[in-house]
Amino acid sequence: MTTTIAEFFEGDLAPLVRRMADRPRGEGGDTDDDRRETRAMVWEGLTGLGALDDDDAVGLAELLGSVLYQGPLLDTLTARELFPDADLGHAPVALAAGSYSGQDETITARCDFVGFADEVEHFAVVGGDRSALVRAGHPSITTRRHEETGRGELYRVDFTDTPVTTWAGPVDWEPARVRQAAYLVGLAQAALDHAVGYAKTRRQFGRAIGANQALSFRLAELSMRVDAARLLVHDRDAAAHAAGTLAEVADLARTVTVQTMQIHGAAGMRSDDDAQLYYRRAAAESVRLPQPRG
Amino acid sequence: MTPVFTPEQEGFREKVCALLCEDVVRAEIAQSRRTPYGEESGLLDVHRRLGKLGWLAINWPERYGGSGATIVEKAIVTEEMIRHGIPENVHSLGVDIVGNAINLMGTDEQKERYLPGLARGETTANVLFSEPDVGSDLGSLATRAEPDGDGYRLTGRKIYNMKAQHSDFALCAARTSTGPVNYAGITLFLVPLHTLGTVIEPVWNLSEERFDLITLDGIRIGREDVLGEVDDGWQVLNRVLPFERTGLDHSAKAERTLAALREHAPPGSAERLERLETRVRAARLLAWRCIANLHEGKPDEIHSATAKWYTSETAKEVSVAAVELLGPQALLDARDPDAIADGVFDAAFREAPGLTLAQGSSEIMLYFVATSKLGLPS
Ligand SMILES: Cc1cc2nc3c(=O)[nH]c(=O)nc-3n(C[C@H](O)[C@H](O)[C@H](O)COP(=O)(O)OP(=O)(O)OC[C@H]3O[C@@H](n4cnc5c(N)ncnc54)[C@H](O)[C@@H]3O)c2cc1C
Repeated sequence: MTTTIAEFFEGDLAPLVRRMADRPRGEGGDTDDDRRETRAMVWEGLTGLGALDDDDAVGLAELLGSVLYQGPLLDTLTARELFPDADLGHAPVALAAGSYSGQDETITARCDFVGFADEVEHFAVVGGDRSALVRAGHPSITTRRHEETGRGELYRVDFTDTPVTTWAGPVDWEPARVRQAAYLVGLAQAALDHAVGYAKTRRQFGRAIGANQALSFRLAELSMRVDAARLLVHDRDAAAHAAGTLAEVADLARTVTVQTMQIHGAAGMRSDDDAQLYYRRAAAESVRLPQPRG
Repeated sequence: MTPVFTPEQEGFREKVCALLCEDVVRAEIAQSRRTPYGEESGLLDVHRRLGKLGWLAINWPERYGGSGATIVEKAIVTEEMIRHGIPENVHSLGVDIVGNAINLMGTDEQKERYLPGLARGETTANVLFSEPDVGSDLGSLATRAEPDGDGYRLTGRKIYNMKAQHSDFALCAARTSTGPVNYAGITLFLVPLHTLGTVIEPVWNLSEERFDLITLDGIRIGREDVLGEVDDGWQVLNRVLPFERTGLDHSAKAERTLAALREHAPPGSAERLERLETRVRAARLLAWRCIANLHEGKPDEIHSATAKWYTSETAKEVSVAAVELLGPQALLDARDPDAIADGVFDAAFREAPGLTLAQGSSEIMLYFVATSKLGLPS
């Protein structure tokens, strides 16, 4: 199934997907509406191809990272594990983490950094001993988009006596962490490929900059580290070591994208270059899930 | 090695700090960091106030708007401006790079014409060196200056420069002759920016300050606009570079981000913070060693390269560590009402990649130290 989804992302769609949730700043180009349309189309495509029931969710997550997909799919997978009996259909769900006070029927909570809050159909409010599924769009819910490095779709969401559809126990973060780590492996690989491509073509001092071992060895080292990280996330025991793996891969994704920027020189900072996009997305995605306590 | 300041210098630092801590100044700085996207501040009132006191370019002669003080006092001003969060590119480009070059190498006429405005914080300048195909290898630049009567016509494209929209003039590197050694034959010119034949196009980037692509379409400049000697721009650059590459700006930035990080880091970060703090202290020592060299009139290229590399890499490391330690909170932009520390972490993170590229990239510093200090074959 992952292969079909990979084909779906090939070709003309790829550059649109990479920026499907990147809000332009003062520089013109696509509007928010164009990007929202792309997101809706990608959601239809993914769910139509069975992404919600893919039995290789880790492989899927890596693929999503490699195309820099941004949307509620990974959150939705976690929510579906949490509420296996809820009738969610193909509806997108956002995880909303934060402390809450709940009665039996309603919930009051403030949650920050909730993804795609303005376009999901449900929220899974998590973080305590119990998790609550609530319907989006209820008047008791307010959202405000964060201004942040990733320029993505992250929101503060306030729930005030919001009706709860279903309760469940606490989230089991392990599978979610493994998928997030896999997403970051995909992202790191894509950023690395971008850097390698540039190192082969950019010329200074009469030759490709990648002919200098200072750069080529650095790229080779990162390529080996990504290779190792990929084995970690696909390992049979991955869930047992999820927190450690995610911490390692998060660090790797930041390191790779810092180097992707360095190798691109000033050109990588340009808004129209993907280097800075990988750099900003790696920062946002590397701290996307709540850190384990302790 | 910790820099030793005279009581007068310590007193001067306190006076600078007092001014920069005034409520109006702090409000102006905070405001400048929240300008709408696509806009950015140029010179601020605080620059003009420092300028009026003769502090902005304090080491320049009084007749050009300075106070005739030493490079140490200048470094104190720079360090405090950055520690207090004043966006510094507009100042460093105008005063520290272009103004400093004119002060060191300019004719009396050039000094009279350009320095007082820069020193008062009323005008600024930018630097036109890089081109689309020319970055690290500046010697291969393609912009041409062709003789035209008693002057020249400049043709070429310059990119990745900043602050053109606020600058009155620029320091531009162009080729005046070709020969076997490519960096011979480059001349530096002082050129007007907002003139017929100059097209400025914004190049948006991830930082708070845009780049520009500047097309020079045969603009006419006079012989009197040459800085230094014709074909000998490299000499000027070599003279000016040690002033640019002290690393003081980066060490002060690292200090500022680290101070905020210390305040907001979660419990359990102590060990990591301590290591960063040690790096930042070392960065400051390297920077002040360069200032001391300049003060003694003995610039040292190896010290400069070491300071540039170490301080910029350290500032970058602190910015990336902030994301790791603080999580998503570090990502909030100054424009978000809930941003911690006025959004310093997000701004630092977006600025970080440029620190190890501009003014001589890390790799170029490493190359220099490998070959010149260690004597490894090139
Ligand atoms: C924030 C910022 C502000 C700037 N402001 C100005 C300005 O005001 N005016 C101006 O003219 N320019 C400015 N620049 C441009 C700056 O001068 C260039 O970024 C710099 O010269 C490097 O060139 P480049 O970016 O084209 O990288 P390139 O030269 O293309 O290099 C790309 C990468 O390859 C590496 N590399 C190159 N050669 C070698 C080698 N031999 N061995 C190993 N590695 C190598 C570089 O270190 C870099 O990491 C600015 C840049 C930045 C980031």
